[in-house]
Amino acid sequence: MDFSTVELTDETREFRRDVSEFLDVHLNEAVLETERRTGAGHSQPLHRALASRGWVQPTWPVDEGGAGLDPLQNRILQLELADRDAPMISSGTTRIVVGAVRSYGSPWLKEQVLPAVAAGEVICCLGYTEPDGGSDLAGVRTGAVRDGTGWVINGAKMFTTGAQHCQYCFLVTRTNTEVPKHKGITTFLVPLDRAGIEIRPIETLGGERTNAVFYTDVRIEDDYRLGPVDQGWKVLSGPLSDEHGLQRGDAELDEINGQGAGYRATLDRLFRHALHWALTAGPDGSRPYDEPFVQLRLAEIATDLEIARSTPGAMGRVNGSELLIRDSALLVDLVGPTAVLPHGATGASEDGLFEWGHRYAQGTATYGGTTDIMRNIVAQRVLGLPRPPRFDG
Amino acid sequence: MSAAKQRQLRRNDYSLDEQQQAVHEAFADFFTAECPSSRVRAAEPLGFDQALWGKVRELGAVSMAVPADRGGDGATLIDLVLVAEQYGRVLAPVPLIEAVAAARLLARLDADAAADFLAATLTGEMLPTLALHQVGHDPRQIVPAGAVARQVLALHGQELVLITAAAPPEHVENMAHASLAWWDLSAQSGDRQVLAAGPRAVEAFAAAVREWKLLTGAALASSGDDAVRLAVDFVSSRTAFGQLVGSFQAVANAIVDAATAVSAARNLTRKAAWFAEYAPHERRELQPMAYLASARAAVQAATTAVHVQGGFGFSVESDVTLHFRRAKGWSVLAGDPSRELFDIAAHLPASFQ
Repeated sequence: MDFSTVELTDETREFRRDVSEFLDVHLNEAVLETERRTGAGHSQPLHRALASRGWVQPTWPVDEGGAGLDPLQNRILQLELADRDAPMISSGTTRIVVGAVRSYGSPWLKEQVLPAVAAGEVICCLGYTEPDGGSDLAGVRTGAVRDGTGWVINGAKMFTTGAQHCQYCFLVTRTNTEVPKHKGITTFLVPLDRAGIEIRPIETLGGERTNAVFYTDVRIEDDYRLGPVDQGWKVLSGPLSDEHGLQRGDAELDEINGQGAGYRATLDRLFRHALHWALTAGPDGSRPYDEPFVQLRLAEIATDLEIARSTPGAMGRVNGSELLIRDSALLVDLVGPTAVLPHGATGASEDGLFEWGHRYAQGTATYGGTTDIMRNIVAQRVLGLPRPPRFDG
Repeated sequence: MSAAKQRQLRRNDYSLDEQQQAVHEAFADFFTAECPSSRVRAAEPLGFDQALWGKVRELGAVSMAVPADRGGDGATLIDLVLVAEQYGRVLAPVPLIEAVAAARLLARLDADAAADFLAATLTGEMLPTLALHQVGHDPRQIVPAGAVARQVLALHGQELVLITAAAPPEHVENMAHASLAWWDLSAQSGDRQVLAAGPRAVEAFAAAVREWKLLTGAALASSGDDAVRLAVDFVSSRTAFGQLVGSFQAVANAIVDAATAVSAARNLTRKAAWFAEYAPHERRELQPMAYLASARAAVQAATTAVHVQGGFGFSVESDVTLHFRRAKGWSVLAGDPSRELFDIAAHLPASFQ
């Protein structure tokens, strides 16, 4: 057990200063304003700048396009990006895809993709969810059919966040309808510039843009296949576990709440701003924090933050999301009508953060698998509770 | 956001080291072997098993809590939390937390008399406990372990006093079947000795109450953990409408939520113990947070376990009722746990600004 302050060496301190100065320049107000306006979850100018320092895949060796950062340096970089609210959604999905490409891609595909990812020229999105089914990934209907040496893909995917600026989509397809549904899945890395792909925007309550992507007679070569035919479930279980936060590194700096860490960080930001609001004196010299009720509310939320931080694995994913949903609503109540004024509106509290936070929070119960699915995972894999009977084999 | 607002980088390692793991296992093995639920029931309603208490003391559970330079074995608060977890898991009918908190309080005082009392506590001649509330207008107070102890440490104004009775007062029946008794802590009562006075006495007493809460929180979280275990066992073997009860999501989700609360409370308590031991002036809101989270988690786990066991869970035959009784019966002794929020609020500006 160790929660001590990390003593930074001169070299690490210098690295931290370097990161900070770099982000002062490249994660500027224009980048943040564009993100607020478009909800793209990605900034190509920032991404290219990061790539120029090897910071897109910062822990990769320098000769593979990374920066060879050690875990502490990487932690400093990631914290600094998160604290400044860098748009990193597509970086996150790319990281998931890279794991699958490394494990299952052909040598040719690895050569095509991995150096380009590190160089900031390639980012990847996830083609999992379909119009007919959300969390039931094994029930995919988008089909891939053999055509000579390649494949023809037909179907539709929903919520493919980042498709409008990504080069590849990690696509989950049905290649066999004659076997139980988990056994007829094949995964591909589909180049998004192929004929027959149509990307339509979907605006969300949280302000992020996502997409519906339609695949009509899309032809790809077999080299884009990831893993054996019909064994895509095995390929997916790596990234899925990753997305579900079931695995964690053992670095002493890591959050034990893996997948919930991002949502907890959002709640942390809302809380810090609420505390700032509460400790700021009004025209009459009094502060909201002078009122016992305000103290109690913020103490509850601060406690929730520590609870979320201390909750491991899939449990942490549930807590991270649900405490954010509950507390972002309570913070709006606490701050009052100025908390429903958006960024840029006259008199908006903390520049519209609470207004955004309450909207944004709602999506977190769904991203990467719903909290309901997470509860099932906890029930069956952590507590060993019996599975419900299946109705579809 | 400016670069100036860079936060401190801290390690975030909740894992037990080899020595902590050894403490954890030794006490888990001991309490599991020595204290099945039948022994808990046999000790009711007084909540005290003299023979078990002798073994707990022999194992060093009290002496380890006292610093080495005061005649003890100098365990950390983390170790003490690990011991309290195992005590709470089996609901051992022994005044462990009271004895530990009182012994550490005595060790914190300079008076010669305190040293003598501490020595007597370490040999087992004396069993002191702690009155958790500052003595106010009403000198009568319900004291934990007060029905088995002859000495009570109490804060009277700015005086820290040790009150000795000829015999422990009569046990008062209570939901937890804990060794509670009413004590008259007034200035006129029995043999009364002032051990310290002034701000230092007040602070020493406050520290003792904080430690009592830290350890009680650890015990509560583990009680909750065992309640979850009993709930899982029951719903994994019982069927209704042709399927196992635990396969209904309405049932499973309630248990998942209880298990989640318990898991977080245990980790948060361990983290608070680390800060109390190694960085006592930082993140001071963590201890009241941990206690609040543990008290709530224990009640949630116990009430959930009672519920998912259905009629059986409501019958005294079920061991989840043992946890149910202590979840509230222990956590109410130091006052409404939600009042910890005021303490948390007092520390927030320093920790986050």
